[in-house]
Amino acid sequence: MSTYEELRQQALSAPGGWQAVESPTKPRVTVYLATCTIAAGAGETLAALRSEVERRRLDVVIGITGCNGLCYAEPLVEVAWPDGRRILYGKLTESKVPRLAEEVLAGGGLCPELALASLGDAPADGVPPIGSLPFWAPQVRRLMADCGVIDPENIDHYIAREGYSGLARALTRPPEEVIKQVSDSTLRGRSGSDFPTGRKWDFLRGATRKPKYLVCNADEGDPGAWVNRTLLEGNPQAVLEGMAIGGHATGASFGFIYLREEYPLCFERLNKAIEQARERGLLGQNILGSDLTFDVKVVRGAGSYVCGEESGLIASVEESRGMPKIRPPYPAQSGVYGQPTNVNNVETYADAALIMRHGLDWYASLGTERNKSTKMFSLSGHIQRVGVLEVPLGYPMDKLIFEAGGGVPEGRTLKAIQPGGPLAGILPAEHAGLPLEPEAFREKGVQMGGGGLVFVDDSACIVDLCAYFAWFVEDESCGRCTTCHGGNQRMTEILRRWARGEGRESDFDLVKLLGNTLLYSNCVHGQASPTVVLNILNFFEDEVREHVFEKRCRAKVCKGLIRYHVSRQRPELAEAEAICPTNAVLKKNGTYEIDQPLCIKCNACREVAPQAIEVVDAFPA
Amino acid sequence: MLETEATLEVKNLIADLRPSEGNLLAALHRLQEHYGYIPSDAIPVVAQQMKLGTARVYGMISFYSEFRLTPPPETTVSWCSGPACCLRGGDSIRRIFEAVLGIKLGESTEDNRVGLHLGQCNGTCDLAPMVRINGRARGPLSAAEAVRLARELSSRASPPSARKNGGSPS
Repeated sequence: MSTYEELRQQALSAPGGWQAVESPTKPRVTVYLATCTIAAGAGETLAALRSEVERRRLDVVIGITGCNGLCYAEPLVEVAWPDGRRILYGKLTESKVPRLAEEVLAGGGLCPELALASLGDAPADGVPPIGSLPFWAPQVRRLMADCGVIDPENIDHYIAREGYSGLARALTRPPEEVIKQVSDSTLRGRSGSDFPTGRKWDFLRGATRKPKYLVCNADEGDPGAWVNRTLLEGNPQAVLEGMAIGGHATGASFGFIYLREEYPLCFERLNKAIEQARERGLLGQNILGSDLTFDVKVVRGAGSYVCGEESGLIASVEESRGMPKIRPPYPAQSGVYGQPTNVNNVETYADAALIMRHGLDWYASLGTERNKSTKMFSLSGHIQRVGVLEVPLGYPMDKLIFEAGGGVPEGRTLKAIQPGGPLAGILPAEHAGLPLEPEAFREKGVQMGGGGLVFVDDSACIVDLCAYFAWFVEDESCGRCTTCHGGNQRMTEILRRWARGEGRESDFDLVKLLGNTLLYSNCVHGQASPTVVLNILNFFEDEVREHVFEKRCRAKVCKGLIRYHVSRQRPELAEAEAICPTNAVLKKNGTYEIDQPLCIKCNACREVAPQAIEVVDAFPA
Repeated sequence: MLETEATLEVKNLIADLRPSEGNLLAALHRLQEHYGYIPSDAIPVVAQQMKLGTARVYGMISFYSEFRLTPPPETTVSWCSGPACCLRGGDSIRRIFEAVLGIKLGESTEDNRVGLHLGQCNGTCDLAPMVRINGRARGPLSAAEAVRLARELSSRASPPSARKNGGSPS
């Protein structure tokens, strides 16, 4: 049985271990491999790199790491030199690999044109340090400290960087003390539930029946949120460490990680991580020589949003349809297979590991009075720089949008912010300056949620967007409560009628009636489903009324309220005719026109003939 | 239950998965990975192995959107339904694919060469709006690019009777 110090020494000296990354003796090329980088072409970049290295017989080492959050600059490749220079190359697609091999790997230059940043503190040969990138500047990377740094498939890298020292420390203390430390940290459920983690752990500690289970909710189903994926793909061991600490604190002997189907790379990396943790004696029996027995298994979902709700998730683990249960009893009394259970989010477990590793003073040195330390956020939608970052809680959201994210696309203005998924609500631009902490959002009738932030500019229609979210929650309703499955069908119908120009005055009362009725659904899916609709009636009333009473869509998005129209006869209309997927652009007696019943308003014609085709109101005033 | 070569194969595929340990999802994933879908004949075998009723197993398959009881199309176009895609013109991409392929979301062409699947956001939103073709991301797609891509896929699917001009607009 190894002690933690022995494991650490072993990790430092292991061949291909952390030493080889930190102080390379020959050039080391690291390709960032994550779901997002692979979608952007990192797999092809890696293959091209391998073949260039082989063809030129270059004496370099090729390694991998997870995503560091700079999704807007993917694929990412880092070159580290024995002299200490580390350069990050962005948008390094397959086609740029020969140049990187020629000028950098073979030539020894830095090729500043391809470089994004220097990973040191100082600029290297004119390449700016990463801290000077607007996307990086406001970040404090605690949870993400190892993301884009370590090889997520090599446990030695994590241990060498003090991974599992939090578990080692927790094991020297009685469970009650560990729970107190987590309670004192103010850590609350990072999924958006905002429930105090220490109290939750205490409930399970108090349950007497055994076995007890821990569950990690990795069913990050909120579209537009991928912070858990970034963490699990970049540093899966951090979550296992947090769960083992939870096992010690609560007396749970087994953990289930419930992972959504859409994250196959997380599945692969988590399973490798579990295997390696077992080999090192960090999972299994008598962990680090203590009397703690704790093991973990990954359960892979199969496509169901409502399984992110904790009792739906438990049902799914129990080999049932993922329908949320009627509560009480709560999971701490009766969870997985009727046994006492505790469900926490991915980020929550990783935070617990950091609290044990660094202590309360360190943890509380950032954040606000009520919310300590940091939180991960993903930025997407109408934003210049898409990606994941980590900032202290309470950080002003508008600074994230306009500084880190680079603002909305050129020529547009910010219209709304949609945080935390389809149930959390939508905020108008006037509230963009809210501090990123749950209380501030709640005051406005919106939830901050699990970390997804979707930005909306004035090219979007608020009714169209709301109809989209209504459809999503309707489609993902489990069907147990009539309020939810029936209510959300009616809600979607009403919003779609507005978008078709068939709104009625009575709809306003109907929407409010539905909103009040949905509150009587069993689970949060139904209860929170009208949030977005109620938000738009509150924040965007004028725009909604225009749809209903004037049959006008100011953003010219709603399909029933606009039509495509040939405004000028120009030669490029021949191209428009060719591209139209429904043959709606027709030439009759020498002039082009658009056959309205055939037109699906897809905008392809206007892309190829922007000066000949315009979008006009279907119901002119 | 009558033991045939086919049921024996199913049995072997999931032989190590024990009941009441949260293994039913894993069993169904394994079958779908092996066959591309879950053959109906496999349901009683799975039920027996996991000590559950066949209705429970069927209920499981029908609840989750990624399990299928029919063979997958040769080419699956998974249309990303995420909000970033929606905001950047994703709904037009859906209507274009539906029109060109002559099928609705969730359907396949008659010859099962191309299918249109409702995909969920996986956080590759820098590529919005996008589709995944047999798992491979294609984006950001302009409407015109989507038309060309859909036509290229459509030329691989055959019966013109199913497609004429590209179906009715919605």
